[in-house]
Amino acid sequence: MILSRRVTRPPLVVVFVAVLLLALGASAGAVMGKLRPETERYARARVAANAPAHGLTGSAEYDDEVIARAVFSAEAGLSFFHTHAQGLPPIVLLAGTLVATCVPWRRCRGILQTLLAAGALFPLGYLVYALAVLEVGRDAGVALAERWVLTPLGSLVIVALLGLVTALARGRSRPA
Amino acid sequence: MSAPRADVMTEAWRVPPVSVLLAAVALIACAEVGGASMVQWKPEVTRWARDTMLARPAVHGLVGVRDVDEQILDEALTRLDGGLRLFHLHAEGMGTVIIVTTMVATTLVASDTLRRAIVVLLTVGGAVYPFGYLLWSALIPFAGVTPAKRIAEWVVWIPFGSAAIAATWLLVWALGTRLVTRRRQPT
Repeated sequence: MILSRRVTRPPLVVVFVAVLLLALGASAGAVMGKLRPETERYARARVAANAPAHGLTGSAEYDDEVIARAVFSAEAGLSFFHTHAQGLPPIVLLAGTLVATCVPWRRCRGILQTLLAAGALFPLGYLVYALAVLEVGRDAGVALAERWVLTPLGSLVIVALLGLVTALARGRSRPA
Repeated sequence: MSAPRADVMTEAWRVPPVSVLLAAVALIACAEVGGASMVQWKPEVTRWARDTMLARPAVHGLVGVRDVDEQILDEALTRLDGGLRLFHLHAEGMGTVIIVTTMVATTLVASDTLRRAIVVLLTVGGAVYPFGYLLWSALIPFAGVTPAKRIAEWVVWIPFGSAAIAATWLLVWALGTRLVTRRRQPT
């Protein structure tokens, strides 16, 4: 009977990755709050050090605007990292618990837990976003993070959740 | 019939102590009430904050010139509103995080002392931290934006936020140790 079923936890590695992301996300929040001036100074220094990538011309008026936009994007990346790293791990743990508890096929469970563990790293894409914006320029940095980190890892989470939905539906239609 | 599961898959979640769940759910309830109140009483809160600030011109650097003062008041009111929104967001988020992380600690941290320390730090730190935003908002009309922020930082955000962050890293360390130990054990 479903109500009397034990709620099984996901494998330790899934729990570890989720809690690690929570810790990183909480720490990023503290950095954003307490070390904001230092973060901004670092971002400005990196933009200045990568002047060609940002198209800086030497004209103070134009450069100031470009630098401000790049710094804003880097700070936004850090902020997105904080919110996603605090929001996604509980979802991964919940989905992992459902997989461990409700999916009856061992191989299917293994695949879904692997997808969830890898997909839980998705918020790190925003950290890449924040750093890449400073190192390779705003548009190129955003494109790099989206293409190589955010899209692949985000897709893994989506595939895992769709897989869970399918497995739950198939498991429900099986005879008891 | 389910396929037999490996040892790692057969362990069930353990529920954290009721006091922890109570604190987390109460925090989420406060967040909901805070969100609803922000919408319901926004004009009243704005009027109260404005009157309080106008009664303390020196604190806010008001000079008596309408154009200048309105800009200062608007900025302070925006920060006050932002603080209330951040309370709503953080209280909802931290309530969930407290439940999840204490459940992980209760289930997977073997040492009694470490488990208790993690659960207490996560619960106290996580439950009190969001109220720093409420304190910041409440103090803005009396003390000004920056002094109010400094008070909230030292009274709430730094001590309680640090407690929650330290506990989360302790949990990471405990889980990492368990993971490594498990892998080293002969099958």
